[in-house]
Amino acid sequence: MTDLIRARMRIGLLLIAAVLIETTLGSDMRVDGVAPDLMVLVAVCAGLTGGTLAGAWVGFWSGLLFDMFLTATPVGLSALTYCLIGAAVGALRATVVQERRSLLPLAALVGTGAGVLLFVGAGDVLGQTQLLGAGRAWLIRVMIVESLWNVVLALPVGYIYAWVARGSAGAALVGSPVARPAAPIVK
Amino acid sequence: MAAYRRNSRTRNVLAVLVLLALTLVTIDARSHGGGALGQIRSKVADAFSPLQRATHAALRPIGNFITGAADYGSLRAENERLRQELAQAQSQAAVSQAEQQQAEQVLHNHQLDRGVLGTIPMVAVQIIQQGPSNFDNTVTVDKGAADGLSRGQPVLAAGALVGTVVSAAAHIATVELVTDPNFQVGVSLAGGNVGSAQGAGRGLPIRVQVFSTNLAVPDNKRGQVVVTSGLSLEKFPKGIPVGTVTNISTSPGAVEPVFYLTPMVDPLSISYLDVALWSPQ
Repeated sequence: MTDLIRARMRIGLLLIAAVLIETTLGSDMRVDGVAPDLMVLVAVCAGLTGGTLAGAWVGFWSGLLFDMFLTATPVGLSALTYCLIGAAVGALRATVVQERRSLLPLAALVGTGAGVLLFVGAGDVLGQTQLLGAGRAWLIRVMIVESLWNVVLALPVGYIYAWVARGSAGAALVGSPVARPAAPIVK
Repeated sequence: MAAYRRNSRTRNVLAVLVLLALTLVTIDARSHGGGALGQIRSKVADAFSPLQRATHAALRPIGNFITGAADYGSLRAENERLRQELAQAQSQAAVSQAEQQQAEQVLHNHQLDRGVLGTIPMVAVQIIQQGPSNFDNTVTVDKGAADGLSRGQPVLAAGALVGTVVSAAAHIATVELVTDPNFQVGVSLAGGNVGSAQGAGRGLPIRVQVFSTNLAVPDNKRGQVVVTSGLSLEKFPKGIPVGTVTNISTSPGAVEPVFYLTPMVDPLSISYLDVALWSPQ
């Protein structure tokens, strides 16, 4: 078995563990009624460590797995959202974002906020108007609290993701060759 | 040249993934969750349910601790309020018990029906998961089609309506809560009026739109309990409490007022619910 396959299998197991934690512990951990979103955080970490392609692939599967546990939105909406968020984080990391210690929490903050907006916006365009039914106040509250939740969880999840994707030479095996490896983020 | 090829490949893969996701959304939305994708979703959720139960049992104390720590201030205030309410309720309970006995005696003497709800078999279920998305006003419960649960059945807590079953796999079911914007139920109002109660989102009051008729405008007051109407073609039997009137507003120029209800029970604060094995026909 090659390092590539082993890395992909570990990432698959991480996604299953993440969705189990998200649907059990995550949905109980509500602050002001808002739960964290581990699945988008995994997509952000994949984009940061592996680049655009890894962010897109991991985000797609992360979202698709999460979609299996949702009932109010169609299958594929989370996959679409997290795929684009993971890819965008990876693309920005490879091109315009400067290396710094706060990069991971910052990416979690912006990526999660953008993920919430994209999920509701894309859902509304695709006919899921009930997503805006709770009003803008709820949308803003979810954006803020969920983003802050993910800032808190960013470092542990980032470390775990980098550990899981080890042996894949960072981007070279699980994602795009244009991105940088995981080492700078987790040192 | 190599970099161009890499970027081109990235763009192609991203385009394929986006198109695939859009296709899935379209197919599932067109089948209203009831097609092949809906079945796959149901089977995946069912297959994961034992793992979810085990994970939930193991991790729930951690979640409760974190949520409790975050809400400590409001919990103390709520605890104080609940103690006062308990003292009042205990004194009222003694009075109510005597009145209840008298009422049951009257019903028995006159051989009157105790209502549809009293005759419907109930299945007690445990919540194993709250809606994981912040836009999903649902809970997953630990019983499913194998226990008689099916789509459309009313779900109650402490005798009050909290939602309806929207999907039932073999061993788990999903309950849409009354606060979900998709949830609608017909309700009875004062003066023989009826209306439609619709959820507005988590933590927001249920909105009741009155159906215009020749009857006098309903004069329900704050604090009154609104119950299901149970008219023909309605989803639920009549007489199930839906919520308490907390606000009434009349828009300028509108004939009918809009009532806002607070649900009788917050299903996210309890662990067990009752599913009424009832179908409209």
